[in-house]
Amino acid sequence: AVVSTQSTGEHVRCSDKIVELGEYALAHYSSNLGNEKWAVYEQLCVAALDLCPVKMKVVNRCIQKLAEQFPSSLRVSMLEGLKSEYLKKWDEALEMYNGMIEYEPTFPAPYKRKVAIYKAQGKVSDAVSELNRYLTTFSCDHESWLELADLYIGQQSYKQALFCVEELLLQHPHNHLFHQRYADILHTLGGKENLEASCKYYCRAAELNSSNVRALYGVLMSSSTLASIGKISAKAKSDNLTLAAWACDMIEEFYKSQRVGKSVILETASVLDKLSLK
Amino acid sequence: SKQWYQRRVRGKEGDGNLRRKEGNERVEVVDAVPLFHYNISLSPMLTVALTQIEEYAINRGLRICGYYHANEFHSDNDIGFVAARIADRIAENCEEGACLLLVNNEKLDHIATELPFKVFFPVRSTDRIDWKEGEEPILQYGERGLTLGPEIMKTQLYQSVVDMDSHYDDVRCHWDNAALNEVVTLFTESIPDLEEVEE
Repeated sequence: AVVSTQSTGEHVRCSDKIVELGEYALAHYSSNLGNEKWAVYEQLCVAALDLCPVKMKVVNRCIQKLAEQFPSSLRVSMLEGLKSEYLKKWDEALEMYNGMIEYEPTFPAPYKRKVAIYKAQGKVSDAVSELNRYLTTFSCDHESWLELADLYIGQQSYKQALFCVEELLLQHPHNHLFHQRYADILHTLGGKENLEASCKYYCRAAELNSSNVRALYGVLMSSSTLASIGKISAKAKSDNLTLAAWACDMIEEFYKSQRVGKSVILETASVLDKLSLK
Repeated sequence: SKQWYQRRVRGKEGDGNLRRKEGNERVEVVDAVPLFHYNISLSPMLTVALTQIEEYAINRGLRICGYYHANEFHSDNDIGFVAARIADRIAENCEEGACLLLVNNEKLDHIATELPFKVFFPVRSTDRIDWKEGEEPILQYGERGLTLGPEIMKTQLYQSVVDMDSHYDDVRCHWDNAALNEVVTLFTESIPDLEEVEE
């Protein structure tokens, strides 16, 4: 498989293993694989590009085999494009991708490769425009919204980043990670209103997933900061302190439930004290 | 690699290890804690991470003495906004001897023969900190030490590095990378004639 999944079900990029297994499978099990072998060639090609220049022969062989089997295939053209990207032949790759977009505008891959090229060239504003253009058509692509948010965050355009995560929250209202991410950006922006909002979103994230320790730390950080702001009512201060204390308890409980070592628990308790005193 | 790695370096002080030379203090960097490979510039977890590492350092007679940064892109070898902001923060909490190590991605191909990073020291003025390039650091094992890097890479030990992000994903993983450090120590001990540089 192109992605090897660990026990957590995470997607990992393990190109050296894929190349090893892919080459072995194609060498010894080609007939058993049947039509599956074309998918293996495709995945092997992508993985081998990560190991270039050593594995360039593998790349070329895969492209050749696939081109023979699937002449005028867009997916094979993508592989050619990726190879041009590896060789830093940006203009050639861009021309190829633009051609593919003109021919088949509903095929998402070339748009994203264009964004990747602009990023590699350091042309962040071009990457941002291209990604925005892509998202007007493919607005359900949540990975791309996250990518755009990251690009904005890298430029310290936090308000635009918030907008991207808002799109995600609209489409996936029960995803704790998006609530936490929204809160992170609000917290980074700072200021009383943003901190209050970030606290709410952290609470919501923790409510949706009580194992999200970043959300719990977020509740602690935002509520303790709010409690220490001068222009705050006594009630608000007291509420925030209560919330901060609750977050500390939840974090300690969580570490204990995960059976971490005793010294870690002691250190964490000390850290929580320091963070609440802010 | 398409990931940003950020680390905190911890130095030793006291017990005569902080030696004075021409009025400049010398700091011995003994360990590094990798920070984040994602969400690097967002504030709350950065504060939490720094506080955790500080606690860990204090309990072991160490202190945080700098920040180590690698940019995402191969050709990007400048101190960007994010690196500067975090380094500034560490310098502010560090009475003396702070440093910034910036990895030069292009030099990673030659780590057997040259240091893949530059060292910067803070120059403080009233409202800002500027980072000026400084002398190359002295390695524990001198030039011979450079060859250790690629040797260790061959064992693929880097697959098991735990950073703060990995820790927050699964708190059972500890960012002190104790097991990994032990392997590195055993490895260096197994090399014949490896001498520490005296200075």
